[in-house]
Amino acid sequence: MPAAETRLIFDVPNGRLVFQPGALDAWAEHLAWCYELMGVKRGATIAVQDFGGSPLSFLGSALLMPGLVRGVAERLGGRFIGLDASAERVTLTPAVLEQIPVDVLVVRADVAALLAAEIRHKGRSGTGKPPARTVIAFNDEDPPPMRGSGAPWRYLLHVPSSMLMAPQCGTCGYFHLRAGVYRLDGVQVSNLGYQGAPSWRLPQSWTRTPEGCALGLDDSTISPAAWTQAVEQG
Amino acid sequence: MRENSQTPERPDEIERWPRARLESWHLERLAEVVAHARANVPFYSARWLQAGFGEGQIESLRDFERIPIVSKQDLIKARESWANSADGPVGFSTRGTSGEPLVLWLDAAEEEIYIRPTMRGFRWAGFRPAMTALLMSPVWHRLAACEAHAVVRLGGNCAFFWGSLGADNMDSFVRTLFSVRPEFVTTTAPFLLAMVRRGAQGGLDLAEAFRSVESVVAVGLPLTPRMREFLAERLGVGDVFERAGTQEGAALDDCRLHAMPHVHEDVCYLEVVDANGAPVAPGRRGRLVVTKLAPAGSVFVRYDTGDIAAFAVDPCKCGCGFRRLKIYGRPESSVMVGERMITAYDVRIGVERDSALLGRNVLLIRDRSAASGVLTVAIEGERSDGAEGVEERLCAELGVERVKILWLGGLRINWGFRQVIDGREIGISNG
Repeated sequence: MPAAETRLIFDVPNGRLVFQPGALDAWAEHLAWCYELMGVKRGATIAVQDFGGSPLSFLGSALLMPGLVRGVAERLGGRFIGLDASAERVTLTPAVLEQIPVDVLVVRADVAALLAAEIRHKGRSGTGKPPARTVIAFNDEDPPPMRGSGAPWRYLLHVPSSMLMAPQCGTCGYFHLRAGVYRLDGVQVSNLGYQGAPSWRLPQSWTRTPEGCALGLDDSTISPAAWTQAVEQG
Repeated sequence: MRENSQTPERPDEIERWPRARLESWHLERLAEVVAHARANVPFYSARWLQAGFGEGQIESLRDFERIPIVSKQDLIKARESWANSADGPVGFSTRGTSGEPLVLWLDAAEEEIYIRPTMRGFRWAGFRPAMTALLMSPVWHRLAACEAHAVVRLGGNCAFFWGSLGADNMDSFVRTLFSVRPEFVTTTAPFLLAMVRRGAQGGLDLAEAFRSVESVVAVGLPLTPRMREFLAERLGVGDVFERAGTQEGAALDDCRLHAMPHVHEDVCYLEVVDANGAPVAPGRRGRLVVTKLAPAGSVFVRYDTGDIAAFAVDPCKCGCGFRRLKIYGRPESSVMVGERMITAYDVRIGVERDSALLGRNVLLIRDRSAASGVLTVAIEGERSDGAEGVEERLCAELGVERVKILWLGGLRINWGFRQVIDGREIGISNG
């Protein structure tokens, strides 16, 4: 077990995350909750195309980070494949999907288009099984256009500097700010589990949405305004 | 995996074992791995049955050498009969430099075994308790996943920068160097060389960026002795150490003498073989074949990595009894000139004897003239005063009829793992 004074330091866009031993498990539990809210089943094989310093990567398994007792893979009883988000590695992903039946492919928004192009370019041999679900992780204020709720993919709002991970719910279609982990005051989202994390200000294009989703009765829910309108108009 | 009763209590005790004792220990581990593979990996049991390699036949290392060598294509084709969900919770993909990437699995027992040599390598490189290490991404490589565990067990702190190990993420890496002020850094040699180039262009104060750094551990490119010294001098760090290894289980580290990386013989059994699969003598080059000594994770028994390597002839003066081995490159980082395989490493050795050319990117050009004995080499920057001497030296040292050097002038090619290009990529007609 790492010494109490050990520090794990992650420089992230616009900030830094510092963890001490024992602090990572709560976040791995939260990320596993995010996946389950997005409809990921237990036993899933999750491939993550992100940088190694991203919580989506380093929380993937206890094997990746000291002090992490149970990562996402261990919590979901599944498997984790770390795919670096460099352009070089993105070109390899279609071949990885050919070899391994991946249930969930998590992709950074800024490489999603490149990956889609690679998959189109390389084609499929027919031997591989396409991922059952794709999760696009984004942290900008202008998420990609909304897709139909029946599509086999979801969005994950991910702001590393605020340690904010809010999944798009498969039931209500909105992004859940998990009760007890985050608090929404007006337009400010505070992190209750990571002391010192800067609060995240809801972008102007986002709105608070009707609450009371069955998958998280006490959660606050948010969404880009355009998505909310689309949901309300059925 | 059961705890191995013969695993040394003290991690470094095994380094001092007499060779005969180490070989006897290897034999036991190899028999264990073969039994595990036969019982749990249908690909191997079927392959060995077909080859007439029956049970109970590992009584000597010569017996072990009768096991058929397998290739990456064999394993990719075998799919689930080689690797399956029981192999471990974390998957890694190889870089696919020789075509398709191979996906392999790591489990906790295997990682535990590989953390120990990582700690050893870091100790050799000068890591001390309370140091902070700026590390490679844990998802980059199976061996990189062990790094943070090793640092924490050695009593240190870990730092990670945002991004990947491409030149476009250099600013992010440098920001973390400035803000964290690590004493220890692990990264790739191409990334370091890209930083040195940026420094030479005036875009980065290298001395200031690396002010706190005592040791750098570099992977991803075989370092020539002069390149290693050049990096240490330009970065202004205490020392640069070469770390080598493969996702399939090979693990090697430089000791303080830098005489050639030591194989961590407590976790992997390496062989160097000729084109027919027969072992070659120390000092001679051949294909690197790896067997992971851990009966856990994805199983590799006599796996041909595709690397070109050679064992050192003599024991190291550092006192560690582990054999030393240099990985020189791969067929993709080499060209056939006439009948000779020339690696980019060999060419860099010759080019770097001219101090003015140290640190310049050197690329081999694959073109039609190679068949008739002409080696074409592209060197970035302007023609040096001693250019003719370089061509003559390369001819003599590499045993090729003619060397043609193309000076790339202002054309900058990113330092990368790829060291051979088609001439057409830089506007040179092919042939």
